[in-house]
Amino acid sequence: MNNGKRRMLTGNKAAAWGARRAGIEYVPAFPITPQTEIVETLAQWFADGSLKGRFTNMDSEHSMFMAAGAAAATGVRVFTASSSQGILYGLESLYTVTGWRVPFVMVNVSRALATPITLEPDHNDVMSTRDCGLVQLHAETCQEVLDFVLMGYKIAEHSQVSLPVLVNMDGFVLSFSREPVLIPDEKEARQFLPSFEPAQPVFNATAPLARASAVFGGGTYMYFRIQQDLAARHAETVFNETAKEFGERFGRFYEPVERFQTDDADLVFVMSNSFATKGKAAVQKLRRQGIKAGLLKISLFRPFPAEAVASALMGREKVAVIDQNLSPGVGGITYPEIVTALYGRPGAPKKILSVIGGLGGKDIRENEFMTVVDKLNDPEEKGPVYLYDEKDWAQFQALAKIARAEKGGP
Amino acid sequence: MLRVRLHGRGGQGIKTASQILGSAAFLAGHQAQDFPLYGAERRGAPIVAFARIDDAPILERGPIAIPDLLLIGDDTLLEDPQVAPACGADEWTTIFINTEQEALKLKDRLSLPGLPVVCSLGPLTRKHLGDPRILSVSLAAAGGRLSGRVSLDHLNEAIDIELGALGLDRQTLKKNQDLAAEVFAALSPAVFEERQEKPLVAGQLKVLEQQEVAQAAPLITATGNMQERKTGNWRVQHPVIDYGECNNCLICYARCPEGVIAADAEGKPVIDYDHCKGCLICAQECPRHAIRTLWERESHEQR
Repeated sequence: MNNGKRRMLTGNKAAAWGARRAGIEYVPAFPITPQTEIVETLAQWFADGSLKGRFTNMDSEHSMFMAAGAAAATGVRVFTASSSQGILYGLESLYTVTGWRVPFVMVNVSRALATPITLEPDHNDVMSTRDCGLVQLHAETCQEVLDFVLMGYKIAEHSQVSLPVLVNMDGFVLSFSREPVLIPDEKEARQFLPSFEPAQPVFNATAPLARASAVFGGGTYMYFRIQQDLAARHAETVFNETAKEFGERFGRFYEPVERFQTDDADLVFVMSNSFATKGKAAVQKLRRQGIKAGLLKISLFRPFPAEAVASALMGREKVAVIDQNLSPGVGGITYPEIVTALYGRPGAPKKILSVIGGLGGKDIRENEFMTVVDKLNDPEEKGPVYLYDEKDWAQFQALAKIARAEKGGP
Repeated sequence: MLRVRLHGRGGQGIKTASQILGSAAFLAGHQAQDFPLYGAERRGAPIVAFARIDDAPILERGPIAIPDLLLIGDDTLLEDPQVAPACGADEWTTIFINTEQEALKLKDRLSLPGLPVVCSLGPLTRKHLGDPRILSVSLAAAGGRLSGRVSLDHLNEAIDIELGALGLDRQTLKKNQDLAAEVFAALSPAVFEERQEKPLVAGQLKVLEQQEVAQAAPLITATGNMQERKTGNWRVQHPVIDYGECNNCLICYARCPEGVIAADAEGKPVIDYDHCKGCLICAQECPRHAIRTLWERESHEQR
């Protein structure tokens, strides 16, 4: 166990190492922004012979995801990556290839969407792929990025799942940040993840088959869609089996949700991805101040682990769901999912508050966790609470003054 | 936890310095985290990088507002209000500045919270690498030494790893390690006291009301506001027109990609230094070679 090497790696490099240790055979990649260092690293490895197989530059994310699905349908192990506007551009293809029921792993480097334009992170890009039928694993650390890529193949290729897996990490905060990451030994990684054995017939020149079937009337369409739902739901069981095997082999144990000091907590923050680290630090500080806080981190976002969420939150008094995304007209996107998971259960929290923060790279400052505690304790506060203060308002006004000045120009 | 913030310009190796420091701390058995922060600028533009070093798992992410150790690699940034490199430094912060200026004068002029540690890394860097502007190793060595958390061996190993990954040969790595050793010997570890934990305090949130769409949409009605963005601080070199040689052909005006050369009332080209990014295309294009280039540091002294 743990014969690997520990190194300082960015999230991007950790993703590339995950793919390398998975023994990937094909990478289709759109090579221009918003593409990342992930495929740059893989391209180098294919060029210098560290990776055997094929790396192909594609003209867009739309064709990239289509190529990923088509290659997976020939029975090779495929990896690809995207980010932000890129994954949106490929959205049509993502629906298409999940319908083909072909397994591959992709990494999304989460960054906010236009308009207004920014480069900085939030989760609206990955939330836009929520309903595609992808299995989604959201990473808090660079180690999780690597581990989830490896686990992702095992889940994707499982005969009763056979769906693409998306591993999500925050842009900048993880993708550019280095921290110690253990790269598993190659032999051990291959023992955990042997070669891809397709669970269904593959494209083959001598045995023609069609995959993009058209069906009309609805009944047949619905059959396939229900099958997709059942496979996606089953992916939770497969996640648990995979995580158990991974933990026994590598010593790092994962669950669909991570309970951080939730068992005796009066109030719980629900978070995901890299800012969960900040949430954990806040929980520790709040406890030193006599406030029994806890944090529930969602690692498996699709399928949604409703039972695990409910069992962690039942008996807790107050819950704040902190969404770093926004569905205009609704609010936080994971909030209703948490509420649904708890609906009608005995011991459900008395208050579940929707909090929206950290959009477009805005920090969630440590004192803001105390602000959330205040709002949880305020019986008048119904939410959603936007983590936006006078300082943010002043900063906006200063820029607005320049943008809307009567006179400008040289 | 030791929180380190590094300031410099794109191209000086500031990101690499943070990585060498992070790696050295990691090799010394600490928990470490390092990362750069930059946007869509280019070489010469101010950049900032960070490192966190601790023995417990690091539960902080993102930029460091209050650094314990501040490493300022380029003293031409000191008085740039857009960079404000000393921002957030307090009486517990050790400030290191790569400069020939005197510590006491800098403290007074910049109202620093304490006496900075000053050292001119340029001559040492020139001696070992032939170019005084590459700060990746010298700034990392200064930071490593001041931190008191890494040995020279760890630093050397980190140099092998980080610069080796960039494809440097053995001989060049050795030169960098000699430079690190000299910087290491020139400084001594600073004293860092663990900051007292401040209790978390709830703040007031701003409740936004719906506004008219002309206000609420990201609309820019004031044109020509790029002049507000003083891109002159991206410059590492500085074009200077020798009007004795200049024949007012205005090829520099035509070729300037930024439109920062204008013709004055007499038809002479004039450079807008607030916005000139120092690409030096004008100097390249001038048929009479009437545009000289100066290092930014030299021109600062002249002004």
